[in-house]
Amino acid sequence: MQSVKESFTNGIMRANPTFILLLGLCPTLAVSTSLDNAVGMTAAFLFVLLLANIIVSSLRRFIPDRVRIPTFIVIIATLVTLVDLMLQGFVPELSKSLGMYIPLIVVNCIILGRAEAFASKNRVVHSIADALGMAIGFGWAIFIVSLIRQLLGSGSLEFFGVHLFTVPGLEENPAAIFLLPMGAFFVIGVLLALFRWMGVSESE
Amino acid sequence: MGKRQGGLYPILFLTVVVLISVIALTVTNDITEEPIAEGKRQAIMEMLQSLFPEMDDFRYDEESERYTVTADGTLLGQAFMAQGVGYGGPIDILIGLELDSALRGIQIVSQKETPGLGAKVTGATFLNQFVGQEAGTLALTKDGGAIDAITGATISSSAVVKAIKDAVLEQSGNNGGGE
Repeated sequence: MQSVKESFTNGIMRANPTFILLLGLCPTLAVSTSLDNAVGMTAAFLFVLLLANIIVSSLRRFIPDRVRIPTFIVIIATLVTLVDLMLQGFVPELSKSLGMYIPLIVVNCIILGRAEAFASKNRVVHSIADALGMAIGFGWAIFIVSLIRQLLGSGSLEFFGVHLFTVPGLEENPAAIFLLPMGAFFVIGVLLALFRWMGVSESE
Repeated sequence: MGKRQGGLYPILFLTVVVLISVIALTVTNDITEEPIAEGKRQAIMEMLQSLFPEMDDFRYDEESERYTVTADGTLLGQAFMAQGVGYGGPIDILIGLELDSALRGIQIVSQKETPGLGAKVTGATFLNQFVGQEAGTLALTKDGGAIDAITGATISSSAVVKAIKDAVLEQSGNNGGGE
């Protein structure tokens, strides 16, 4: 059995959800157009994954194998809706900025993937470590993709309204293609090739 | 794994999970319904204030679906909602009109446009262009008007322009003034 530390570090690089497991690419590619989005998505992701992992892991002895996938889906969808309603009702400010990412979490198969591959087979402590590690792995991955896309696609870098810097010559004629879905595929394709070339691959 | 596999157990288990989920969602919905509605009213007030900073009260007329904005009882102008068909879905727009029917300004209430492209319709650079325009002659620069479309997002830009134009024309029709 893995140690808690191993469960934690696993998701950061060796089994990075975005670059190595290639899970949840759809929402990742959809929102990775700015650094603000990357941070918002990571926050929403961490919250839902952590809760889903804890619940699935604590129920793992009771969930019958034959209906485990529907059970996971009901748990995840309920969690996401609860979080969405709570945010709208009690922290409308946060809901405004995170609101659009919450529904995307439902279709994020990393959550379901971790429930199936990890939380349903491991103890709660390990599942918490796994959720934290996966969230960090997801976070830096989407951050890098967003960084490249925002830089090339809009020619300047902004972070929560703070202007960081401008690429000379690119500001007037930005390569807007990088903000479109196909630009996302270019970026992630090149990054995947880079990581393979560097010899990073799943060793599970 | 020692889990009970056969018979009714899986069916019962899933039923219980779904029941708990339904209860949790119903309760949460009941609790949050009021704050969410209140938050929306507050958001409308703030939206109206962004168009009419000097306002202190507004009234909503259900029939014409118009907000009448006042300060110290004096009429400032009107505001109403319009919906455009954007690239990613509906774009909801709040339109503010001066008493002489020039545009006081517009606000995007909600939109589902592409982040980084069409979503720029919410930016001040785009929105400020509408201030002072005559709604009847509103058009993008490529159609001979005065509104610069957002680069790479002509559909979103023209959806906003068209929605405003149509809504203002329809509203002035509602006035019954025969304009």
